[in-house]
Amino acid sequence: MASVKLTDVKKVYDNKVTAVHDFNLEIADKEFVVFVGPSGCGKSTTLRMIAGLEDISGGTVEIDGVVVNDLQPKDRDIAMVFQNYALYPHMTVYDNIAFSLRLKKMPEDEVYERVTNAAEILGITEYLTRKPRALSGGQRQRVAIGRAMVRNSKVFLMDEPLSNLDAKLRNQMRAEIILLRQKLNTTFVYVTHDQTEAMTLGDRIVIMRDGIIEQVGTPTEVFEMPHNLFVAEFIGAPKMNLMETKLVKEGDKYFVTPFGAKIEVNGAKAEELKGVKAESQEIILGVRPEHIVLANEPGEHAIPCKLEVNEMMGSELHLHVYTEDETRLIVRIPTINLTMEERKELVYGKQLYITFEGKVMHFFKKDGLNLIYG
Amino acid sequence: MTQNEMNQKTSGPVKQHMGLRASRMLSNSAIYVLLIAISIIWLIPFVCIVLQSFRVESTWQVGYVIPQQWGLDNYRNLFNTDFPRWYVNTFISALATAVLQTIIVLCMSYTLSRFRFKMRKPLMRFMLILGMFPGMLTMIILYRVLKDLGLTQQNSVPGLILVYVASSGMGYYVSKGFFDTIPKSLDEAARVDGATRFQVLKKIILPLSKPIVIYTILTAFMAPWGDFVFARYIAFGSSAGSNVAVGLYNWLNKDQIAKYYTTFCAGGVMVAIPVTVLFMCLQKYYVEGVTGGAVKG
Repeated sequence: MASVKLTDVKKVYDNKVTAVHDFNLEIADKEFVVFVGPSGCGKSTTLRMIAGLEDISGGTVEIDGVVVNDLQPKDRDIAMVFQNYALYPHMTVYDNIAFSLRLKKMPEDEVYERVTNAAEILGITEYLTRKPRALSGGQRQRVAIGRAMVRNSKVFLMDEPLSNLDAKLRNQMRAEIILLRQKLNTTFVYVTHDQTEAMTLGDRIVIMRDGIIEQVGTPTEVFEMPHNLFVAEFIGAPKMNLMETKLVKEGDKYFVTPFGAKIEVNGAKAEELKGVKAESQEIILGVRPEHIVLANEPGEHAIPCKLEVNEMMGSELHLHVYTEDETRLIVRIPTINLTMEERKELVYGKQLYITFEGKVMHFFKKDGLNLIYG
Repeated sequence: MTQNEMNQKTSGPVKQHMGLRASRMLSNSAIYVLLIAISIIWLIPFVCIVLQSFRVESTWQVGYVIPQQWGLDNYRNLFNTDFPRWYVNTFISALATAVLQTIIVLCMSYTLSRFRFKMRKPLMRFMLILGMFPGMLTMIILYRVLKDLGLTQQNSVPGLILVYVASSGMGYYVSKGFFDTIPKSLDEAARVDGATRFQVLKKIILPLSKPIVIYTILTAFMAPWGDFVFARYIAFGSSAGSNVAVGLYNWLNKDQIAKYYTTFCAGGVMVAIPVTVLFMCLQKYYVEGVTGGAVKG
């Protein structure tokens, strides 16, 4: 158990490509931090620099207060789980898990105790004598976690551990990682490109793009207070709807005017706008799909649009609509709110009216920064 | 649907299926006949040598293959010549070369497969070009160097080992190709688990590369075992410093052949035995090794 501190960490490859720019982050002892971002954003590179598998081009990485820049991976006291499991194919599950302990020349009875204990926690006791090729993807990932677990190392690194699993297994393993975290109670650094994993697992989420940290915050913070358009769009599925519109200040009230409608900003958002003394201006308005509702009829608050695609997701419908100026929006409607007749009517070309409440809006300046939090 | 209709419906594909099977059988048979014919042509010289080695009625070349009188005299004769010495010379140089060359080749392959360092690619290109020159070109200078070191004639065994092992780093292609197919994340996992680079090679890479290790040992053993040109040149007429190929060849001189022809055949069989045994034991791995590096991990 230990803290991890990255100060101005930089990675420049031989071909002069900079993968990570001045990365600064403090990870507290026993914290679960998730690095998330699209492919090529530098999240795995950063993790590998913590592990010692990539050279650090600049800055320092500290584990438990010790600068580890020049330490070999074996001397950093870290454990790591890889995306492709990286199990040793010629060894049995038992030998795989025991590998690191035997390298430490631990007495064989203690090795046995630790391996069987880990296998029990992970539910793989019956597979201990098998070779990795005789295991399913989920079982292999458990072995990989077991191999990292037995070491009782200071920091637990996970590099997209669930990416190779099918959707159902991924959900199951995600829940198991949460339980494991409670049992191990150590510092976790987890890399993923999946925002759902990031939101469900992390105490804090680090959202990265092109080697730069876009925002660091708790799942609630990054979801409700995105600092910029990138974070707003990246977190949440389906992604946030964006509309170019105007913020209008009339007296001490604020309105937005998307597609000819006029919707008052109210609740906490109105107070926050007042707090930053926002003036009337061109903005990009963000509204999450689940915050849009169908209005029954045209009106001042309603945006007219036409239905393009209706995706039935089971408990909800994802309606892809387009407005008069061809802006595409997505609306999430719980199926339970619609009668069977209403659902049948939702076909291509159907005229709809949508609206949303004034307290669920996000306001971004033209440069992409959040008007309130940016 | 009546039975008749069903028959009509299915007869097409069934007929086609039968036709396919017949044509496959036909082509297989043709291939086997051809292979058997090639094998027979291939085996004739070996069979002749084995049969001649058991011929005791005469020691010179004769116009028939099957001996009139059978016996082990020729094999016994081998022990009255320098043959045991040549055999030991060859065995020592082949064994030492096999061990040293395997170590060098595997280390070289691992380094070129896993480490990224400046001049890595130019080095590989340089070795590729260097490898295109025939080794014979170096013979004169090698002889000069070895003579100065006192490693020729009766001391030729260490000299030969030096020659065989010196260029072995350049034979890294096949094993590097094989190592490249082993995921790098295995190395990384092992290094995070606490292994040094050498432990990674020893405990992870080599056990996973068994076929290629065996292939490397076999090829490293066989080249000196059958070498003639360098061995003859460096032994330079010394019988004590000859290997089997050179020694046996000397029996084929005009003035010796009549006395030693059948003994020569017995010597040839003795030379083939260890290699054949080695091959039969390891052929499974050998084939995997030759074909494995290119396509599978």
